[in-house]
Amino acid sequence: MIEEFKNIINILARPYIMFPAMIVAFIFIFPATDGLMKINRRLGLYKLWTNNGGIAIFAFLFLGFGFGLTDPNFRAIVTKPDNVPIVGLIFLVVFFLWFALKQAWENDEREAKGLRPNEAEDAKENILVWPDLVYIEFIAMLLISALLIVWAIVLKAPLEQPANPTVSPNPSKAPWYFLGLQEMLVYFDPWIAGVLFPTVIMLGFMCIPFIDNNRKGLGYYSFNSRKMAISIFLFFWLILWIFLIITGTFLRGPNWNFFGPFEYWDVHKLEALTNINLSEVVYMILLNQRLPDNILLREIWGILALLGYFTLTPLILAKTFLKNVYNRLGPLRYSIFIIFMLLAASLPIKMFLRWIFNIKYIVAIPEFFLNI
Amino acid sequence: MGVDERHYNIEKLNKIFAIASLTLLTGVGLLFYNDYSRKWKDYQGEYQNLEIEKTRVKLDDENAKLKDDAEFIKLQEDLQKAKANFADQCSPAKLQDIAKANEGINSHSEILKQQYRVIKAQLDTAKFHYEEIAAKGHGDVKVAEIRYKSLEQRTKQLNQRIQNDDNKFANNKKTIDDCSQTVRDLERNERALTQKSTILDRKLKKIDPNEMSLTNRIANLVRNLPVIDLANPTVKVQQIVLKDIHDDLNFMTMPKVDRCTTCHLGIANPDYKDAAQPLRTHPNLELYLSKDSAHPIESFGCTTCHEGSGRATDFVTAAHTPSSEKQEHEWKKKYNWAEQHHWDKPMYATPYVEAGCFKCHSGQTTIKGAEKLNLGLQLIERAGCYACHSIDKYKDWPKPGPNLEHLASKSTAEWTYRWIADPKSFRHNTWMPSYFNQSNNSDPESKARSQQEIHAIVHYLFAESSEFKMKSMPQPGDATKGEELVASIGCFGCHNIDHSQKKMTRDRTMLTKEQGPNLIGFGTKTSKIWLYEWLKNPQRYHPETRMPDLRLTDNEAADIAAFLSKDTNESFNNQPIAPINDKIVDDLVRGFLQKSLSEVETEAKLPKMSRDQKLQFAGQKLIAQYGCYSCHDIKGFKGYKPIGVDLTEEGSKSTDKFDFGFVKIEHSKQAWFTQKLRDPRIFDEKKIKTPDEKLRMPNYNFSEKEAEAITTALLGFVKDKPGKSKPRTPENLAIERGEQIVREFNCQGCHIIEHEGGAIKDSISDWLVKYQGKDKSEVDTIIKTFSPPNLNGIGKKVQSQWLFEFIHKPEIVRPWLKVRMPTYSFNAAHLNSLLKYFNALDKEEFPFTEHANTTLTPTELIAAQKMFSPDYFDCTKCHIVGNQMPSGSQETWAPNLALAGKRLKPEWVIDWIKNPTAIDPATKMPTFFDPQNFSESGPPDIFDGDENEQIRVLRNYIMSISTLPPQPISMPTATLTTNPAATAEQSK
Repeated sequence: MIEEFKNIINILARPYIMFPAMIVAFIFIFPATDGLMKINRRLGLYKLWTNNGGIAIFAFLFLGFGFGLTDPNFRAIVTKPDNVPIVGLIFLVVFFLWFALKQAWENDEREAKGLRPNEAEDAKENILVWPDLVYIEFIAMLLISALLIVWAIVLKAPLEQPANPTVSPNPSKAPWYFLGLQEMLVYFDPWIAGVLFPTVIMLGFMCIPFIDNNRKGLGYYSFNSRKMAISIFLFFWLILWIFLIITGTFLRGPNWNFFGPFEYWDVHKLEALTNINLSEVVYMILLNQRLPDNILLREIWGILALLGYFTLTPLILAKTFLKNVYNRLGPLRYSIFIIFMLLAASLPIKMFLRWIFNIKYIVAIPEFFLNI
Repeated sequence: MGVDERHYNIEKLNKIFAIASLTLLTGVGLLFYNDYSRKWKDYQGEYQNLEIEKTRVKLDDENAKLKDDAEFIKLQEDLQKAKANFADQCSPAKLQDIAKANEGINSHSEILKQQYRVIKAQLDTAKFHYEEIAAKGHGDVKVAEIRYKSLEQRTKQLNQRIQNDDNKFANNKKTIDDCSQTVRDLERNERALTQKSTILDRKLKKIDPNEMSLTNRIANLVRNLPVIDLANPTVKVQQIVLKDIHDDLNFMTMPKVDRCTTCHLGIANPDYKDAAQPLRTHPNLELYLSKDSAHPIESFGCTTCHEGSGRATDFVTAAHTPSSEKQEHEWKKKYNWAEQHHWDKPMYATPYVEAGCFKCHSGQTTIKGAEKLNLGLQLIERAGCYACHSIDKYKDWPKPGPNLEHLASKSTAEWTYRWIADPKSFRHNTWMPSYFNQSNNSDPESKARSQQEIHAIVHYLFAESSEFKMKSMPQPGDATKGEELVASIGCFGCHNIDHSQKKMTRDRTMLTKEQGPNLIGFGTKTSKIWLYEWLKNPQRYHPETRMPDLRLTDNEAADIAAFLSKDTNESFNNQPIAPINDKIVDDLVRGFLQKSLSEVETEAKLPKMSRDQKLQFAGQKLIAQYGCYSCHDIKGFKGYKPIGVDLTEEGSKSTDKFDFGFVKIEHSKQAWFTQKLRDPRIFDEKKIKTPDEKLRMPNYNFSEKEAEAITTALLGFVKDKPGKSKPRTPENLAIERGEQIVREFNCQGCHIIEHEGGAIKDSISDWLVKYQGKDKSEVDTIIKTFSPPNLNGIGKKVQSQWLFEFIHKPEIVRPWLKVRMPTYSFNAAHLNSLLKYFNALDKEEFPFTEHANTTLTPTELIAAQKMFSPDYFDCTKCHIVGNQMPSGSQETWAPNLALAGKRLKPEWVIDWIKNPTAIDPATKMPTFFDPQNFSESGPPDIFDGDENEQIRVLRNYIMSISTLPPQPISMPTATLTTNPAATAEQSK
């Protein structure tokens, strides 16, 4: 019975099930548009951001971990000294997310009643740096120091074997904060995952003040007045960053294979990973013929698809779903915004293409080391 | 500022602050405690307590011994008397006055010496000044001269006064000393007697807190306090740094550092034999750790042999390995033990500890003291593991199995089929391993396939077998005579005849008797004529064979062939042979064809092949697949590479490189090796494999003990290079090479070499009882005479040139021996290596030795002849001289003295005559010169009783016997007298 349940969890944890499920859930939990907001209301999902909701979330987390720890495989991975901070990360991220959104939803409700946000009350009061701020900071410092000391005593720093250039650890994992990037390497060529995307992420951050011209919700927590901005940010933050770190830590095992939370990390586990390029899908599967010798002719479909993705999609979106955004931002800011969005969306899109169609590259020109 | 202006309740914050501070303080305390409290400190405390206890016991023993020591008691009394005398003779008051006076003189002389130093410096300056003015001529020379002279004068005077003082002082001192001379001498004697107890007492004062001064106790306490203990604590990590032995850290090598003695404090201390671990003494201090052993701890450390993590100071991280599941369980409970996955070289578990020897001793054939490892290596040699698995140590070794190129002339296809199918059913202790009916091919489908595979292999072997010309035998042969010959001429040095189907664990002696096959069932296996041809010249059938030529006459060979072929194995002969199944043969062929051809081509080709062609084709592929050619010479397989994995560095392979399959055993190298040796196909269990993917290693049916020994050897096959501690000199290399040849050709089956071997003795005593009618009890005393000679010290004994000739072409030294020294087809390299080896063992010069003058003057000749004659030493009573047999009974016969001149080294003959039992304690040669009373032992009437001269002359005489015209030595045809009474009579 329990084994069957674990088995179901293992199956649900497979990326091609869990990832779409998370995206769907995300869309409704963090509604970006008014329409989605209505569904959210109807489903009562906003109740997550109340005290009871918080209790429910944490009860779920604790129960989940409590149950998981009864399993030797789960226990081995979660309690490994390297991985304990990531467990902490899960709890901390969830807590602060809940805490911020709780305040945001309270403010939204106050606003609906015509009241000013909670923070408006605080702003009236002046607090002295000394003693009020410095004192509690000092106490926090003491407690954190004590925590770190005890942690260091209880969970010893893991020592591995003497470095050996001929033996790489399996799995070979990046430091936890780079696990998102490492996960991207599965789907993209190193120059995209390691160079282009990090650059784009930083450029994107720089552009935020220029693109986001919404003046509502400044200086206080609010969800309703910044739905789109918060949802987009949380999508990047929770799905494309935190989730990938968690996946990389707990679910990626030897040979970078995917393992369910209750699965034994068997070094010999085999996964069929025969990937094909888009050109091969088009010519060999659909048209049933051999690949053309001419590179351009061979890759033309991928190039067209990419061009279409980056030119047609913005136009179509500007006329349909993102009409309001286009109107608010104007053509230039809209263009910049949408290019960043499309680049970001390319990661989940590529993941799906890989998991479902085994697509390796959209455009594959190994002759020039250009693979996209 | 009012309290109400604050946002938080400051009282509450104060409390929280207090709690937070205390928490942090506790945390820091915990940090110190955790860092400071180490298990090894407890062990060191324990050790110190034991050490105090043991020292106290020793001190008490020593004091008690002194108390009972008559010498000491007398000394005490004398001392007391002397002291009393001293008081009488020299009045203390007077002595005190003198001492006081001396004190005054001393201080006075100190002042003078001080003045002297000042004046001397002034003198030197004045001298320089004077010289300079005199030479350069500017300044007043006169003044300078006067100053110099006066200073010189004063210096002399001062020196005079100092000397006076010194003299006075010395005189006074002598007066005091003279008085107390006896007392001081006695006191010195007392010190010498109590030296041991003083040392112990001093040690106790150093380590026992109860005996220490308060200051020292406090100082020790402070030295060991946290943080301060970085300087020089009494409780500290002990380490041995080995400059000559390095740890390979992949990027660089570092001198090995072993901290094992931090906990294993008593390891090199013989007092801790019964202490609990980790303080217990090493079990073999003669060989290890102690200063005068072969492996002193200062130059070898611990992990050099034992492996494990030498730098670790904790039980678990040191990578200790439990030797059994029970121990593992205990350790988990006691030490929270866990396998150290991150340490590549875990400690050898106790059963496999000898593996550590091989790293440095890999060149040796037998490693003294490492019996399990030796057995493992010898099993590897005998089983021929090196044929399929290349092992550097055995790269020159011949193939272990017989040549199959003329198989058709030796055996029948039916016999070969049954043999391949189940060799053990023909010869229970054969070294031919079993390929079929194993754990991965005994299901019905595999069995059916196996039968056809064997057919194919047999077909190939017989089709490719070329003709072996056999002459006819001179006579049908007499089996009874043959049996006696087999029992007497030395076949049992390498073979045995053993019909008992008992499964026995082989030991190393047994292995020497299994150099060749168990001589049973030949009637079933081969023909008499083939046996005859084989015995006459083994090399003709199998050029690489290690079977030597025993120089059998045609009749002898025929007799032995008749005897051996008499033994048949009917149950083996009745084993069914499955008929050839064309369908399965087709499948076999199809499978092999498809490896190089497409399916269409295969199907086109298959029907065109005849059955013979199919069997031939499949047979060839199967021989290649199973690697039969690794052990046997088979036509068509020259230059094929061995099929097994290289084992040269098998012990250094990491555990994750081994495929444990679905077999539930401990994931360690030793467990894998053991399992593999017990059942080589076990790791196929529950795996889906096509027939040609299956594991192929055959089953040798090793016993548990054998598997453990081989595992030990395999664990020892590591890639680490030995350190510089043991230089490999040319002598060492010569010994290693010689030992290898000795092992390869099983010299120790008959001879005792390096105090090992000679197991043929048992069969010789059987022969003496059965054919010579000797009594069992009597055999022990005469067995040595009828056994092949003991070769210990052969390098000192015989001349290299003679030995070279002898091994090349043996001549008769001991005509009464039935056992024959065979003729080996050694090449010059072999012979040279053997000679170098024997000489290096005895530290003899090679190839040329000291030239001894063995000429005799006429008087010396007469004296020598006298000693040689029955009147004196009666040498010819036992020794054969030329073709003249001795007068004594055959049990006492001794080697031919006519050969001595070219055979024996002159120096050795002297040593031998002087004291034969010192060279060979079991020799029958009488000791004419009593070593206890050497100068009186010789006959007094020759050379005025000068023993050394007598021996030298006798030696020269013996050495010159051979210079007589060579006379043919005939083999005695007479057998021993079978009448025990007559023998007894004769020996009187």
